[in-house]
Amino acid sequence: MAFPSQLGFQDAASPVMEELLHFHDHAMMIVFMISTLVLYFIVALVTSSLTNKYILDSQEIEIIWTVLPAIILILIALPSLRILYLMDEINDPHLTIKAMGHQWYWSYEYTDYDALEFDSYMIPTQDLTPGQFRLLEADHRMIAPVESPVRVLVSGEDVLHSWAVPSLGVKMDAVPGRLNQTAFIASRPGVFYGQCSEICGANHSFMPVVVEAVPLQDFEAWSTLMIQDA
Amino acid sequence: MLGMLRKQLKGHPALIPLLFFIGGGAAMSMGYLARLALRNPDVCWDKTNNPEPWNKMDPTHQYKFYAINMDYSKLKKQGPDF
Repeated sequence: MAFPSQLGFQDAASPVMEELLHFHDHAMMIVFMISTLVLYFIVALVTSSLTNKYILDSQEIEIIWTVLPAIILILIALPSLRILYLMDEINDPHLTIKAMGHQWYWSYEYTDYDALEFDSYMIPTQDLTPGQFRLLEADHRMIAPVESPVRVLVSGEDVLHSWAVPSLGVKMDAVPGRLNQTAFIASRPGVFYGQCSEICGANHSFMPVVVEAVPLQDFEAWSTLMIQDA
Repeated sequence: MLGMLRKQLKGHPALIPLLFFIGGGAAMSMGYLARLALRNPDVCWDKTNNPEPWNKMDPTHQYKFYAINMDYSKLKKQGPDF
C-alpha cells in the first residue's frame, strides 16, 4: 500500500508491474540526463560573457541534434510498446473473478465452479482495529491464489467505477452494460490495496479494493468455507 | 521536384536525417492505418460477400500487431461452436 510522503511506485506484486517499474526507471534516467544537459547549457550560456554575432548556420550540429533525439525517442518507444502489448496478453487464466462496482462497494463473484458471491464494503474509520489502514481496509477481501493467472471481469451496476490495484499494475473501468477484462498474476502472497478510480458519487473515496493473494490450498479452503457458509 | 530536393539537400545536408525520420514516421503511421483498414476484423468493406467479418474470427490467428509471449497458433478455441 502507499505510505506517507511516498514519491515512487508501490512495490511490484506482479510481473507486469515489475516491467512497468523498470521501464519507468529507464525513461526517468533518460529524462534526468536530458534535463541535466539542458541545465548545463543554460548555466554555461548565462554565466558567459562571450558573444558571437556572426554565426548563421551549422549543418553538423543540426544533424547531431536531429539524429540523437530521434534515437533517444526510439529507445523509449520500443520498450514502451513491448510492455503495452505484454499487458494485453491474457495467458490462459486459471480462475475468473467478476468484480462488480456499486455505489459504494465492490462485489466479487467466483462462478467458475460454484456460485460464490459476496460484497466488499470499506471498514469505517471508527471501526478500525489497531494496525489496520484508514480508508483502505474492506470487510471481505478478494482472495486469489498466488502465482496463478487470474482473469478479472469488471463491470458496473449503476454508475462508472474503476477497479484498480497499483501494486499489481491493474486498472480497469467498470462501465454499466459493458464487461471489461483484465488479468494479473500475483507473484507473492500478500494483501494489495487499491481504491475506486472513477468518480462515482459521494462515497467514491470510500470503496477500496483489497486483493489478498494466498497459496492455492488456502484459497481452496477459503472458497469451500465461503460456499458452506452461504 | 526530386531535382529541387536533391539541390537543397546538397546545400543543407542536415535536412537528410530530418527527411528520414519524418518520412519514416509518416510512412509508419500510414502503414498502420492501412493495416487497420485491411486487416482489422471490425472493418467491413464488402457488404454483400463479407458483411460481418467480426463474427468469423479464427481463434488461432494472431490479430495483434506484435505478440510477445503468446503463440496464437497453439491456442484452442474456448467458446462454443455455432
